[in-house]
Amino acid sequence: MAENENISVSFEEDDHRAAFVFNPEDGQGNNTKQQQTARPAKRRKVAKADAPKLQSTSAAVAAGPAFPPLFNGAESPDAVRLRRELFETVWPHVLREANRTTLDEVTAFLQQAAEAETGKITAGFIITGPNIASQGLLFEQLAERLCTATQAAKFVRLRASEAPNLKAVLKRIIRDATATRGAADGDGEGEDDVDAEVAQGGRKYLDYDLEALHVFLSRQQKQQSRRVVVAFQDSEAFESGLLTDLITLFHSWRDRIQFDVLFGVATSVELFQARLLKSTARQLYGAQFDVVQANSVLESVIKSAVAGTQAGLRIGPSLLRSLVERQQDQVAGIQVFISSLKYAYMCHFYANPLSVLLAGDGRLDRQLLQPEHIEAVRTLDSFQAQAEAAVGARQLNHAQLLIEDDEYLVAQVMELGQKRKEYLTQLLRSLHLAASTGLSSAPFTDLYILALSSGIDIDQSSGTLPLEDAVKRLSPGELISLIDSLLSAIQTGSPEIGLEGWESDAEEFVGPLTDLRDEIEGLIERSKSNGTALKSKYSAQSRVMRTTVVAQKVQLSQDSATLTDEDKAFTKAVDTLLGLLSQNLHCDPVDNLFLHEVWVFDSKSPYRDVFVPRPGATFGRALARPHDYLACACCAQANGGLESTLPTTAILYHLYLEAGALLNVADLWSAYYALVGDESDVGLDERSALVCFYRGLAELGTMGFVKPSKKKADHVAKLKHWTVVQRRPKANSGRDYYILLLAATRRLQHNTRRAATNPAFHAKLSQMTLQLAPLVQLTTGAIHPSFPRTLLAFWLLTDAQLDALAHFYHQRTPGPWTRQYPCPVSWPAGLGLEEKRRKLGRFIGLRGCDSPSLGVVVLENGVGEMLGRTEEEIVEGARRERVRRGEEVEEVRRKMGWF
Amino acid sequence: MSGSLFQLPDELILTTLAQTFPCREAQIRALSTLLYPGAAPCRNLVIYGTEATGKSAITAALLTRLSDQPADDGFSLQYAVVNSAECITARHLYESVVGKVADALAWDGPPSRCETVSQLTVELAKMLKYTTRPDGFRFVLVFDGIDRQRDAPHTLLPALARLSEIIPSLTTVFIVTSPPPHFLLTSSVPHLHFPTYTKPDFISILSVSPPPALPNTTAQETADLWARFTAAVHDALARAASRTLPSFTHACTALWPRFTGPIHAGTHTAREFSKLLVAARVHFQDERLLDPGVLALALTTTTTTTTIITPTQQQQQQPKKEPNNTTTAMANAGADLAHLLPTTPRLLLLACYLASHNATKTDLTLFSTHHHGRRRRGGGLSVSGGGRGRGRPRSKHRKIARKLLGAHAFVLERMLAIFAAVRGEWESLSLSQQQQQQGEEVLLQKGDADIGMAIATLASLRLLVRVGGTAAGGDAMDCGGKWRVNVGWEVIRGLGRGVGVEVEEWLID
Ligand SMILES: Nc1ncnc2c1ncn2[C@@H]1O[C@H](COP(=O)(O)OP(=O)(O)O)[C@@H](O)[C@H]1O
Ligand SMILES: [Mg+2]
Repeated sequence: MAENENISVSFEEDDHRAAFVFNPEDGQGNNTKQQQTARPAKRRKVAKADAPKLQSTSAAVAAGPAFPPLFNGAESPDAVRLRRELFETVWPHVLREANRTTLDEVTAFLQQAAEAETGKITAGFIITGPNIASQGLLFEQLAERLCTATQAAKFVRLRASEAPNLKAVLKRIIRDATATRGAADGDGEGEDDVDAEVAQGGRKYLDYDLEALHVFLSRQQKQQSRRVVVAFQDSEAFESGLLTDLITLFHSWRDRIQFDVLFGVATSVELFQARLLKSTARQLYGAQFDVVQANSVLESVIKSAVAGTQAGLRIGPSLLRSLVERQQDQVAGIQVFISSLKYAYMCHFYANPLSVLLAGDGRLDRQLLQPEHIEAVRTLDSFQAQAEAAVGARQLNHAQLLIEDDEYLVAQVMELGQKRKEYLTQLLRSLHLAASTGLSSAPFTDLYILALSSGIDIDQSSGTLPLEDAVKRLSPGELISLIDSLLSAIQTGSPEIGLEGWESDAEEFVGPLTDLRDEIEGLIERSKSNGTALKSKYSAQSRVMRTTVVAQKVQLSQDSATLTDEDKAFTKAVDTLLGLLSQNLHCDPVDNLFLHEVWVFDSKSPYRDVFVPRPGATFGRALARPHDYLACACCAQANGGLESTLPTTAILYHLYLEAGALLNVADLWSAYYALVGDESDVGLDERSALVCFYRGLAELGTMGFVKPSKKKADHVAKLKHWTVVQRRPKANSGRDYYILLLAATRRLQHNTRRAATNPAFHAKLSQMTLQLAPLVQLTTGAIHPSFPRTLLAFWLLTDAQLDALAHFYHQRTPGPWTRQYPCPVSWPAGLGLEEKRRKLGRFIGLRGCDSPSLGVVVLENGVGEMLGRTEEEIVEGARRERVRRGEEVEEVRRKMGWF
Repeated sequence: MSGSLFQLPDELILTTLAQTFPCREAQIRALSTLLYPGAAPCRNLVIYGTEATGKSAITAALLTRLSDQPADDGFSLQYAVVNSAECITARHLYESVVGKVADALAWDGPPSRCETVSQLTVELAKMLKYTTRPDGFRFVLVFDGIDRQRDAPHTLLPALARLSEIIPSLTTVFIVTSPPPHFLLTSSVPHLHFPTYTKPDFISILSVSPPPALPNTTAQETADLWARFTAAVHDALARAASRTLPSFTHACTALWPRFTGPIHAGTHTAREFSKLLVAARVHFQDERLLDPGVLALALTTTTTTTTIITPTQQQQQQPKKEPNNTTTAMANAGADLAHLLPTTPRLLLLACYLASHNATKTDLTLFSTHHHGRRRRGGGLSVSGGGRGRGRPRSKHRKIARKLLGAHAFVLERMLAIFAAVRGEWESLSLSQQQQQQGEEVLLQKGDADIGMAIATLASLRLLVRVGGTAAGGDAMDCGGKWRVNVGWEVIRGLGRGVGVEVEEWLID
């Protein structure tokens, strides 16, 4: 957005804002590239006052990036440090355990196959599922494991992208296997096709000659193993021909080097085998290993790192649910889950000043709490809820103290740790009990999310986890085993979620349970001796309902009439059990808790912005509703609609959305001009409107929305298929686009010129006042101050200015950016003034500035000629130009157009 | 040097060799005559025959023994075998030749590079011609499988055949599968044929190494049983399909434990051959023996123990197939994919299929929501719809249904647009009720990072392939890139049904 709004926010705050308004008129760019150099100068202006603070941060930099002080900088350094320490201690360093069984099996298999002497190549097929990311971790672990085993084998990891052909693969195998351990995980930098050589024991070998490896291995010390394990990480992506070649080769070498192969298979071994020749398949001695399914890994991670007692920060239910769903819907490995978790931790401790309250009793003291902390606590939702509840419960004193007395509040805050612990223990115990009843089929993760978001309540009609009916329907035997499993759950706890047994705490639960069990056992005995089956009121009914359909009523009354004394006692026992259960299987939703914001992080948006960026949608939204980002007064009423005060690009974008597959540039211009031109509120004159129009259209082009079309002159093609899908035009040169714009303008000018009385004069005048669309520097987006805004200004440029311009736009000293401009020119030293002017003219896209060898000489004539030429000629000229220049600009443009 | 003009090598060597390789006595004798310096050494020799007829094994074994023979009668022989299967390029071949010859001669001159045949000639001449050797010395250079050499220039074979003309003490042996006439471009090269084995050959080869004696049976009885058994296996399997020695051996060793199962169990004795045969009849009909697959058959115990199935896993695990059965594997591929891929990649793959199989001009009708609240779909197939009677009488045109044709390439951007257009509708079919409530925000995401990930996954599984010039190096996310779907109709239909989408409805002819 090139429209300039005056924003005078300090630079530091800018760093954390979601949107930047780029202001080219500022002169020097402040784009990321230049930030490092540009920032210190600017910061000094704002940050004079807290220079000591800067120093203290630079001291902290030694230990890693420091957290910035919050509360607009008012947070004390101690609190900042504490937050940071908390972050580092609280983050549970989650697992590398997940793949352990697979690793064990693979190593055992390789060991066993090595002893079996099959005369074939040992092949392990590791079924990893389609997740590319998880393969990476698994193979890393495998490499570690096999390299550190007592009989250290050489481990070579291959990825399809690094293995274009047989030669390259062999080179890599030899290089990695002969490299010393630890450095084996090299990068696949450019494999040149030059046949380099590797020296091995005085002789030189071609670098794809396995003989070199053989010599290397035989020169090793005795106890080191001669085995080479080659792992094909994403075996599906390898060419089958290459695989066949490799296997055959390994097989023919097997009497000298023992190769073992491992394949990461995403689909199935059968599909893999179908790609190999049968004779090749026969050379493999394989076994299949299934990596534990992603779901169970996810569950164990959640149990230990999210739900378990050692997790310091709680991930809130809605964030957790979206994380879990992403695991199910998208190809996102467990790594993504873990890094999302870590990111949540980071966000919490980085941006929430109240996170210091999480510190244990030892570290959190009264001095640390600033007035700002207390103020912040009072703004919390849960504080409000607490105060309101107190008022509602007529504890006016409590409410008043909360609101007015800082010390009272601090005392409450200090109790936080204890309360949190109590809540979590209760939550996890209830969950564990609910899971151990075996009555609910929901997986643990769902139960946990449910418990956090809406609490646990087993009441049949209103509860979140209605277990009542299920309990009532149980037979006496099942009821006893239920009680048994509850008792043992209490006794052992759950090591997975870090929950210890709590028998001693729960006497008032364990005691009655044991009594109940004994009682029911006695009842069973007695009814057995009576010769009747023990049943309760509930189970009896349900049995009748199930068995008879016709004579329901009769049987029902019969049945209930036959309830014996034992049955009645049993019914009472079931009721008691239910009462016990509903007392113990119970917890509140997490946001009912006072100050839960301190230890629960439940915000989805930063996570989504970072892990699922959507630049396409973001661009679209920013262009459709620029006001949301610019916050200017003028466009407030636009509300996503079209408004003449919007930035040009946004207006053009709106027009663009309404247009078909091909946009007539002239029509677009007239639509635009009608909106902002003389007659409208904005009242731009034609020249400035045209400049804005050019610029806007150029920006749309840069963002990949439009592209010049070959199909029709002066049309541009729409590149984004939103809902209407259209055929894309053939690739075209970027230069054409400019020419087309010029052609469109020329037609307009032509019309006005005809109306004028003195055509020659007006022609001259319009030539000289012809506005030139400014070019921006690629690295910063800035425009050079002496860039000629009109043709007249172009003619008035001095030698120094020309040089400065050429330098500014990366033309004088060639660099990576030089060729990225639409019409790059060469700028050798010692050019004359006119020569330079001509080159610059060509660079900024004026016609007639081609090198003299092509025949056109004087620039003025050239421009005149351009204005006089017909459209066909211009298009034709453009075509010639394109043929001459190749299409590399187009390449760049095409790549940038992805979103 | 003894006076005799023609002297064969030690007879003992030949007989022991003929015992290790039964049915090859003629070839062994011919070979020793043509190679042994004392007999009738030739310059070039071509050994040919189909796969696994013992060419490499016998040549190597014979040469080892000949070279080990003490040089008391004045003849000495050195050799080197270069296996073309191990040589990646022609240059690699030359350097291996030089390396191996130097090793065989214990030559310790400075190693030198060898990029062309002429350099090879120079190097060999240095070692063999210009170094004085005793009179009865010969060097045998074996090119094994030279007809399969990778990157071979077409002058390679004639050039190698010239080596022995330049270096008199050299014999070059070419082992090939079937030589075209005059492929060495020199005259009168002796050819030695290794014919394929016949049934009696097979049986006698296998009876050289009978299995260990069975319980309650003498070694002789076991050997007899083994001979009859191999004959039966040959009749049942080998004659039809497994003609090479290794595959025949494999079939025999795999069947033997099952065949002798009753003997181990004590129900039959080794004499009752026909009863044993009847008992093992099912195994003889088992075709899997011919196509053992990559998973080791004998290893069933290992495979089952290594395949751990946890309860949680069992719920979403696809029905376990019999391993090694490729036909069912292919049929199940669709179901497998559906289980493998998470929702988004699945839908993306369907969108890719549509993009590949629908003409661009119909996109507007199919996916536009402009005039109708609902999208219009193609009404099934008109041609070749099989049982689908609806469309049949209406149209009589002879066009082939697009789904039967190969997939067309499409531009990534177009596929993403199709995906964005149909996703809402499809997702509502596959999502549960509860998930639908959060549905709207999902719909807004287009072209987000997850989609990129899904495309990368599909590409790495080769379900989606990049086409066109940039396929090798281009940026995968280039929106102008062209792609093609790489799965067939059957798989897609299964996949579609898995998420409740009838893909047929979205195809237009
Ligand atoms: N007559 C034979 N007796 C015993 N084993 C044989 C015989 N012929 C071939 N073999 C075995 O068959 C296998 C394949 O032989 P090989 O020499 O590689 O065949 P080729 O080179 O003709 O393809 C070797 O293991 C070899 O020992
Ligand atoms: Mg061979």
